[in-house]
Order: sequence, then structure tokens, then C-alpha cells
Amino acid sequence: MKQHNTERLSALADGELKGINRWLARRHVRHCPQCATEFARIERVRETLAACPPVVEMSDSADFFWSKIRREIAAREQETISIPMPRLSLADWLQVNRGILATVTSALVVVAGSLLMLQQPNAAHPGAVMVERVDTVIPNTVATPLKGSESDVAVIWVSGLEWTPDLDQMRECFDNIET
Amino acid sequence: MRQLAAIALLFLLALPSQAANIQVRLIRASNDSGKAETCLADIHGKLKEKFGYKFYQQLGVRQQPLKMGEKLQLDLGEKFQVFVTPKSSDKRQQELELEWYSGKTLLVRSIVKIVENGHLFVKGPEVANDWIVLAVSVRN
Repeated sequence: MKQHNTERLSALADGELKGINRWLARRHVRHCPQCATEFARIERVRETLAACPPVVEMSDSADFFWSKIRREIAAREQETISIPMPRLSLADWLQVNRGILATVTSALVVVAGSLLMLQQPNAAHPGAVMVERVDTVIPNTVATPLKGSESDVAVIWVSGLEWTPDLDQMRECFDNIET
Repeated sequence: MRQLAAIALLFLLALPSQAANIQVRLIRASNDSGKAETCLADIHGKLKEKFGYKFYQQLGVRQQPLKMGEKLQLDLGEKFQVFVTPKSSDKRQQELELEWYSGKTLLVRSIVKIVENGHLFVKGPEVANDWIVLAVSVRN
């Protein structure tokens, strides 16, 4: 019951609501001060009416009868009525403050994204391959890092290695090198 | 509100958590059409751009998961070996120490930072009219 509905409150007070409808209406009355007040008023009227059962035969005149009613109402107006104060649950609070929740969630996503961005290495070149150090121990040989236009490829150029006519001689050649 | 929560959840799930693998390939660069191989199709264009040869033959390949501080030995055939020691890593980049041996001879030693799907090529010895090239890449 999302809106204030006096007819529904009357139905609740009269015991006409059953099952889930009755549960929902009671729950709403517990959490809505406006409907709680209205419900208390209806209950008071019901009690007042119940306390004055209809008399089949009226022995009094109409004026006297209404004066008794007014007196009764005046007497009962002094009674204190306790109205239940609503207590909002977390779910109710979130339902009411959707905007705040959306803002907080967005802020958390932005902060988490920013932190991840800051943790990325080498932010200026996120996809770079870099040769930090290179050397060779073979005499008369030089190893040089080359950097091309592509950031995802790096080349180390080892020059000065002995030329061989085939793979077998190459293996033999490197086996005999003294470093 | 639900959409924002879903976005936040996807954002967290997208964080990488897989172990990286290193792949090392021993390649012979040549102008001999008999040495063309389709298994190098993924890097053929980059090799051709860097070294100029028309054809590339894969002599050996090894792939292993990287473990921090653990020295990996990758035997590529033709008595070539590569030793790889991960020095540091983060979500996208690996710092590796590489040592390329022919037999017992250390041809080259290097420390490189390599990103996922990045490539390091090492131009090595010259054999007849061809070059021996080492290709190193990191994959998840």
C-alpha cells in the first residue's frame, strides 16, 4: 500500500481485509504517521460507536439524544491516545533515498576505477615492451636494443657473432667459444 | 540503482586473476620459400617488418607458466636454451631476466619488461643466408 487510502484503512478497521492485503495494510500503518493517525481516528470512532449500541426504540427526544452524544464526545476528547511512531527500516530508508544511494554507488565506481588506473604500470605507455638492460659476454660482439614505432614490439640486435654455413657448424662454433 | 550495482559487480569481476605464460620460439628467417610456416602467422608481419626476410621457419617452441623468482629452462632444440627468471609482475606487465644460450655459451642476457601480447625479438647468429631469431611473448 504505497498511497494513503482512507477506504482501505476503514476496511482494515472493519476487518474486511484478509491475508496479504491485511498484512500489507498493517505494515503501512506501522510505518506511515499520516495513516497511523487516520487509522487511530477510525478506531476511535468505531469504539465510540461500539460503546453506544443502537437503540431500537428511542425514548428520548432528538434534541436530548444529540445533547447526550455531544456530552459523550466532550467527555472522551480528554482521553489520551497513543499513536505508534513509525520506525523506518534500512530497506525503507533506501527506498526513500534512491538518489543518495545512486550517487554513492557512482562515486565508489569512479574511485575504484581511478585507483586501478593509478596502479597501471607505465601509464604513459600502457602497452610498451621495454628492454631495461642487455649485454653479451662473447668477445667482439655487441647486443643493442632497438626501438621501433610499435610499442608492443622490442628488438635486441646481437651483431658480431660468427657466421657459419649451416646449423651443425654453428653449434660446433659456439661450443668452442671461450667467454 | 540495480543497473549501477550490476556495473559495479562487472567492474570487480573484470579484474584479471590468471597466471601468465611465457612462450619462446626459435625462428629461422630466410628468403627460401621452403622455410615458410603457418604456425608463425600471428607474428609473421612483425617479423617481416623488423628483419625484412620473406619467410620464417619455426625451429622450436616452448611455453610455460611464469612463477615469481623461479628460473625456467626452455630447450628449443639445435642446442639452444633460454632461461627465464620473473623479477616482478603486476596485472599487465612482467619484468623478466632472459638468458639465451647456445650449448654452454651465453649469447645474450637481458632484463626486459614485457606486456601481455607484446613481443621481444632477439636477432641472433647468421647461418648461410639466414638469421636465427628468438621470439619471446607473454600470454594469459
